[in-house]
Amino acid sequence: MTTAGIDVGSSAVKAVVLEKSGEAFSVLSHVEARIRKREVGRVVRETFDAACEAAGIRDLHYVATTGEGEETPFATGHFFGMTTHARGALFLEPRARAVLDLGALHARAMAVDPSGRVLASKMTSQCASGSGQFLENIARYLGVSLTEVGALSLSAGRGETVSSICAVLAETDVINMVSRGIPTAEILRGIHESMAGRLARLLQTLAVSGVVFVTGGLAADDGLVGALARALASGAADGAAPVPVRHALSAFAGAIGAAIWGEYRYRKIGQEGYSWTAAATA
Amino acid sequence: MKTFVGIDLGSTTTKAVVLDEEGAVLGRGITNSRSNYDLAAEVARTEAFVSARFSLLRAGVERAAGPAALDRLLRAFRLEQRLVQWARLRQWIEASAPRAAPASLQSALAATLEELFARLVAEEEERFRGDEAADRSDFFRDAAGSAYARVAQEIADPRGVTCDLLIGLYDHSIIAVENEPLDLGFPNHIRAALARCEGAPGVAEAAQAAASADLEIAASVGTGYGRARLPFPKEQIRSEILCHGLGAHAMFPATRTVLDIGGQDTKAIQVDGDGLVTSFQMNDRCAAGCGRYLGYIADEMNMGLHELGPLALESRAPVRINSTCTVFAGAELRERLSLGERREDILAGLHRAVILRAMSLVARSGGIADEFTFTGGVAKNPAAVLALRNLVAENYGERRINISADSIYTGALGAALFARRAA
Repeated sequence: MTTAGIDVGSSAVKAVVLEKSGEAFSVLSHVEARIRKREVGRVVRETFDAACEAAGIRDLHYVATTGEGEETPFATGHFFGMTTHARGALFLEPRARAVLDLGALHARAMAVDPSGRVLASKMTSQCASGSGQFLENIARYLGVSLTEVGALSLSAGRGETVSSICAVLAETDVINMVSRGIPTAEILRGIHESMAGRLARLLQTLAVSGVVFVTGGLAADDGLVGALARALASGAADGAAPVPVRHALSAFAGAIGAAIWGEYRYRKIGQEGYSWTAAATA
Repeated sequence: MKTFVGIDLGSTTTKAVVLDEEGAVLGRGITNSRSNYDLAAEVARTEAFVSARFSLLRAGVERAAGPAALDRLLRAFRLEQRLVQWARLRQWIEASAPRAAPASLQSALAATLEELFARLVAEEEERFRGDEAADRSDFFRDAAGSAYARVAQEIADPRGVTCDLLIGLYDHSIIAVENEPLDLGFPNHIRAALARCEGAPGVAEAAQAAASADLEIAASVGTGYGRARLPFPKEQIRSEILCHGLGAHAMFPATRTVLDIGGQDTKAIQVDGDGLVTSFQMNDRCAAGCGRYLGYIADEMNMGLHELGPLALESRAPVRINSTCTVFAGAELRERLSLGERREDILAGLHRAVILRAMSLVARSGGIADEFTFTGGVAKNPAAVLALRNLVAENYGERRINISADSIYTGALGAALFARRAA
């Protein structure tokens, strides 16, 4: 049985194709595309097609969307982001008792039980300071690609302290730091530390402990995850601090969770499948 | 002749004003501030002197060949400047291409860049030939960014040289282009610009006279957000609040309240009959309520900042924007667009949102008792002006509101006036 999951975020679309044989799921393909300023529907279609092609799959039993993908015309069904991220997180990391989803605009912390049920959740406020988009803006102002950010930040011996800054006006703050001669690596480390402080406070309000599984695109940022581990460890007794853990497919947790839920729903109510070949030739 | 220069080093744009000996405005220049303040000051000053020399040749060229010839000469000059910038951007992009893509893609990338820039330069030349009015952004970054992204999307190959790769190269290189002093001054390009215009008799002579006029800087004053970083001695620095007060007073002597919405800060200033500041309020560091908000929205919509206002004016039913934060407003905009709401209605709502935030500062500084002047870059935006008129009427009743097209230069004008007083 094969199902697809498509997670439409505010800045990127993630698509996966999963196969279930016996009781075990395996990820056949995963594709991510940045939306930039393109028409979202088009990016969704391209990403999904690329995932099907990479998996060599022509027919799917279920195409599940999550995130902002509710309007996807060819999808079989839609699932809410919290449930899909929780499910995907447990698939990638069975020890997870909390999930921290780092999206482009919001960070969301969830406490989950071993079956993937969301026990409590908390989201960041209506200000983009410290969000994924914020970090992306900072990287752009520094002329650094997002993939270089983590390693650069880790290479710094110290972080330049930044107070909470507006995601849009950060440009000037960054320019000022650059013109004061502060190395790019130290600026990024400081930015990571300020973001990590905000995320640690978010997790602390849920009183989570144990393994915190980090999902979303920012999970790949070693500098941020390192800063988060430090922030969670400071002020906690030895061994009691929550530990951030991630996986190579962290960015696809929502899409994977959607595909897993799609398989479940297909089994329960047997919705009609989706023929990629038929659709492609139509 | 003696000239006096005021430079307003804003967080987003840097403005320069050149006054003649009588204190009349001879030229104005503006550029993106970005990351190098000294350079921004230099570029704005260069631009202001380009515009000063065009003021000097205006009468001669108009006498010799009429106003259309002057306009054409100016556009030819701008085209020459633009071609220098494109060529430089291309050099930077090609220099960083080897690191940006695997070896297997290099030849395809080189071919794509070749086509990309050929098309961009052809578009520039076409626009000049087509006698199109210069209804474009003042800034290379903005105009170039949207043109580059558009062509990149057309010719990118999702399986090879992707749009992402091309845009990444641009993002990486545009900063470098902005951070080096390009040679864009009047003497260097006026000859090439003249060659592009079928020279009517007398045009070249008038241009020659303007090029050789001796414009000496007798005194300069700097102001604005980045004033502490200007290469000026301390006695030549004035606070932006003072400069905005004096500049607004010079333009509108009866004004008592000034609202300046700049790129990154919004100021509400109360002044007395001599243009001296009696009280003021500034916004905290948040883009909601200042010009960057609209700049961000323009980027979101792939539009030039100057196109936002005219489109918003077409709205019949403005929406109410729920987000305060600029980034969230951008997301709300995308969501509303995907729900099929009209662009102009959403934009009208966004303009009202930005002015609402600014008006709360006006109230805190002491309200509007008398003649009111609206300055700063946002005063050039007709939809922002309309929202402001509505909100002033709703909150204070009938008030005289002054708006000048040159209001973005108010701070630089005030600085230049201080320079002339001191000289």
